[in-house]
Amino acid sequence: MATVKSVVMSGAMNFLKMNPLNLLAPCVNTGVNLQFVRYRRAKHWNPKFKRLRAQKVIKIDLPRFNEDPNELSEEEVRTKMKERGVLPPRPWMEQPVHISCTGGIFEPYVPPEGDGKKSAISTSGAKQTIEFFEKKSKSVMAVRKIRTFDEDFNRHAFAESAQDIYIKAHTYMINKDKYKLREVVTERAYPEIMHNIKNTTIHWKFIQSLEPPRVVHARCTDIITKDNIFAQLTVRFHSQQVLAIYDRFGRLMHGSEILAKDVLEYVVFEKHLSNQYGLWRLHDKIIPDWMPPREPGLKTFVRQEIPVSTEIESESEVAVVDNEKSKTPETVNVQ
Amino acid sequence: MFGLGISGIKVIADALKLSERVVITYSQFHSGRIDYAWTREKNGCGKWLHYNKKIYPPQTPDEEPRSAFVCHVKRNIKYSPWKMWYIACLVRGLTVEEAVKQLTFINKKGAGIAKDTILEAQELAVSQHNVEYKTNLWVAESFVGKGHVVKGFRRHARARFGKVEYFHCHYFVRLEEGTPPEHYYYHTRPLTGTEMLDNWLQEMRNRRIFGGL
Repeated sequence: MATVKSVVMSGAMNFLKMNPLNLLAPCVNTGVNLQFVRYRRAKHWNPKFKRLRAQKVIKIDLPRFNEDPNELSEEEVRTKMKERGVLPPRPWMEQPVHISCTGGIFEPYVPPEGDGKKSAISTSGAKQTIEFFEKKSKSVMAVRKIRTFDEDFNRHAFAESAQDIYIKAHTYMINKDKYKLREVVTERAYPEIMHNIKNTTIHWKFIQSLEPPRVVHARCTDIITKDNIFAQLTVRFHSQQVLAIYDRFGRLMHGSEILAKDVLEYVVFEKHLSNQYGLWRLHDKIIPDWMPPREPGLKTFVRQEIPVSTEIESESEVAVVDNEKSKTPETVNVQ
Repeated sequence: MFGLGISGIKVIADALKLSERVVITYSQFHSGRIDYAWTREKNGCGKWLHYNKKIYPPQTPDEEPRSAFVCHVKRNIKYSPWKMWYIACLVRGLTVEEAVKQLTFINKKGAGIAKDTILEAQELAVSQHNVEYKTNLWVAESFVGKGHVVKGFRRHARARFGKVEYFHCHYFVRLEEGTPPEHYYYHTRPLTGTEMLDNWLQEMRNRRIFGGL
């Protein structure tokens, strides 16, 4: 008997040597056992009942309300369309194009540095006046061209009416009157004016004109055909304005209700000359290179990273960013 | 039968006139209820998102600035409205950070959805509603609405049917700028000693002699 016992003992010891911890693990680890142990005692031993129970319920296809159609793969979209018997949309290659305004400023006016600050009597001021006359010849030609379409055109009278257009455009903008705004603003300027005015209350007042507005630059260009002519006039406005922007909750975001600021602006107006019913409309604003950078807003914000995925996409993105950079602000504040 | 217009009736009438043999398939007519999740009237969310569109009049500098808020909703979640209620109640009156933290540790389907909705609302508040710091927000309202219910069937014995209802729910949340109040449910807050004493005194003073002058 003793020999048999010793054989069993030695066998057990060998077993322990082979897996030293696994067998005695609960005794060795003094820590708490964190694993949940679940017992399911109500399960029937015969699995057929599970299938039968499932058959009791008639399966229906539940609508997927929160499915994002943009997330679906092409194959899934195809299956869905087949299910519903919808034909895929025909590729429509033609696009009607109507050119009612140009896409930018051609031969833009370069405002003299320090304009609005230097007196005409000072040397630099006098130099500016001379330079202005030197550059005039092309503008005179353009004005002549405008007169061939519009016989009554007068530079000085236009500057006065330009101020009306300018004030109207601002008034319609603050009233968010998008239909009337289209009559005084070109299609190029429209998105820039409507950008970021949602959810805001804008208080804007044109107090007075410090200097009479004057036409500083005129250019004409043709698009596609020779007789399809657009004219652009740059008008210099020096005025006093008040601007206060409130957010949706009536809290002041920018500007002040009581502080009048001197504003110097070079505004480009455009007219489709070949169009019999063409109107002078606000087209763009010129921001000179020498203008000091605008004060950053008071609000703290997290800088957004622009995602760059592929080369082709990144190129187009850069183009978009460039356009955004060239966007004109509401007012060019000097002083 | 709502979709059966005048033309549809005319087609049937013509068909009956011509011969009785003509079979009209009913699938030709729109006979279902028009309920789309994206139309305002039928989605069951009322004007909740329209509160976001209200523009308040400008304030003068001496007024206390209005606190910003943003309303957000997740519609027709495939989850029981009754289960969602517990989750909605949990986050009421917490800061956004705390609410997100709490919801992360709840092992329920609805908790993840509520968390996503709150985070989306937070993003909206910063991007569209002029909220400066995204952590300076608290859950001012959080509640559940009953969504679309799909009716299904269940086979019973002897050719009978039982009804199965597949519920959906809406989760509504409103985040407000600032710090949460000390007691979200103000009227049922635990009273302090002084408040209890004041109440008792008031009660004592309110005693009147019945039938007296």
